Amino acid sequence: MSWENEVISGGTLARRVDPGEVRARLGEPTERTRMKKSDRIDKYVHRFIAHSPFLTMATADAAGNADCTPRGDYPGFAKVLDDRTLAIPDRPGNKLADSFGNLAENDGIGLLFLVPGVVETVRVNGRAYCTDEPDVLIRMRTEASTPELAIVVEVAEVYFHCGRALLRSRLWDAASQDLAAEIPSMGEMVAEMLGGDSEAIERQLRAGYRELF
Amino acid sequence: MPAQQTVVERIDPIAEGVVSLVLRAAEGPLAAWSPGSHIDLALPNWLTRQYSLCGDPADRTRYRVAVRHERLSRGGSEYVHRFLRPGRPLFVSPPRNHFPLIDAPAYLFVAGGIGITPFLSMMDATSASLLYVGRTLATMPFAGQLRARYGDRVRIVATERDGRPDLRQLAAGLAPGTLVYCCGPAALTDEVQAVFPADQVRLERFRPQPKEHLPNTAFEVLCARSERTVRVPAERSLLDALADEGYQVASGCREGVCGGCELRVLAGEPEHRDDIGAPAGRMYACVSRALGPRLVLDL
Repeated sequence: MSWENEVISGGTLARRVDPGEVRARLGEPTERTRMKKSDRIDKYVHRFIAHSPFLTMATADAAGNADCTPRGDYPGFAKVLDDRTLAIPDRPGNKLADSFGNLAENDGIGLLFLVPGVVETVRVNGRAYCTDEPDVLIRMRTEASTPELAIVVEVAEVYFHCGRALLRSRLWDAASQDLAAEIPSMGEMVAEMLGGDSEAIERQLRAGYRELF
Repeated sequence: MPAQQTVVERIDPIAEGVVSLVLRAAEGPLAAWSPGSHIDLALPNWLTRQYSLCGDPADRTRYRVAVRHERLSRGGSEYVHRFLRPGRPLFVSPPRNHFPLIDAPAYLFVAGGIGITPFLSMMDATSASLLYVGRTLATMPFAGQLRARYGDRVRIVATERDGRPDLRQLAAGLAPGTLVYCCGPAALTDEVQAVFPADQVRLERFRPQPKEHLPNTAFEVLCARSERTVRVPAERSLLDALADEGYQVASGCREGVCGGCELRVLAGEPEHRDDIGAPAGRMYACVSRALGPRLVLDL
């Protein structure tokens, strides 16, 4: 099978709407889209994070160049240390170098936590730094390894985000997984770009993934 | 034997930082167990943890364990304490016993903190004396009940109040043939091991003992039943290498303490790295490797 969808090169121009006009058009954010914001992790958020196996982490460098990365492990891999502090382990293959680089210049961080099957998400924004504190790292030890570093997040705001995006996206519907058939595997992409046998490349990739556990 | 389906019936605080967790059978009777046994608990956050059974061995409808909330919990005891709720279905393994009572003329039990749990059922099955060591009385579950039920057979030592017990004195007065069972933190199990004669001591550790091993080498295993050969690279555990090839071997602690991943060895010499003391013809795939280039396993 080959993947022949065309991509138009460069040149898109769309009218820029200035921020004031955007605000005027959209109106103020409603309470329903952003449930109550807090500066603390409460028992509901703690329970949510303790069951979340996946989060996205957004950081930016001093110039504002932004980056968003996925992090995942067993549910609760990000630890609530207290009601204002979280920690996220660095795992092999989860190389935090990009995030660490950004945080060294700009300690702002935005996290989005997901729990499979739950349409609401938890958002946590704050300031972050890197740590090698043994008492933090030991809580992140798995059978396979102890992380050498972790990111500590000092929580500035935390809130539940309403479930409309996940409902509309049907993210948790089993039928949505049919979409995967329309995306080339990494093996197929690499084979098409560089040559080689896509199945062999895919096997190597899978083996590589396994090593990371 | 397959995992057993249970439901969390009760979670009750029984001492500072300790809860009792009662699991009710979801269907039919639970597997029988002997004093000293433990089970693996498969927690909702995908972690598996081992706990000694401390209920009534005659009750086949329930298992009871006691769980201390570790200050630096990796997510097991914290989950039980903070998030587990009555009504939640839980899979548990069949009981295993690495701490069985062996016939002896007399027994001395030495428990440290939450290490008391295996001894609750062992006290009923023997006329042993028990030395129960903890930091303060408030942190020591079952202390009052044990004194009430067994009287002078039980000596409680709260170290903040009483100082550390003198094990050497106990060892000096030990009747010949007495078996000494100890379960507790490393400081206590190490001391018991140092003080009492090795052939009279039985230990159950919370954590594996630090050990020196030969450097890891690659080896291969022939899986006799499926007639396949699996290569185990130096940097990979046998358990993981088998999983890579699709062999679903049960696992628990992955530290050579719980015995969940026991395999039958048909030929070849395993290099045992576990803390259980693998019986002849068995090995624990999570930590143990091979002394030679090849093992034959019953898989």
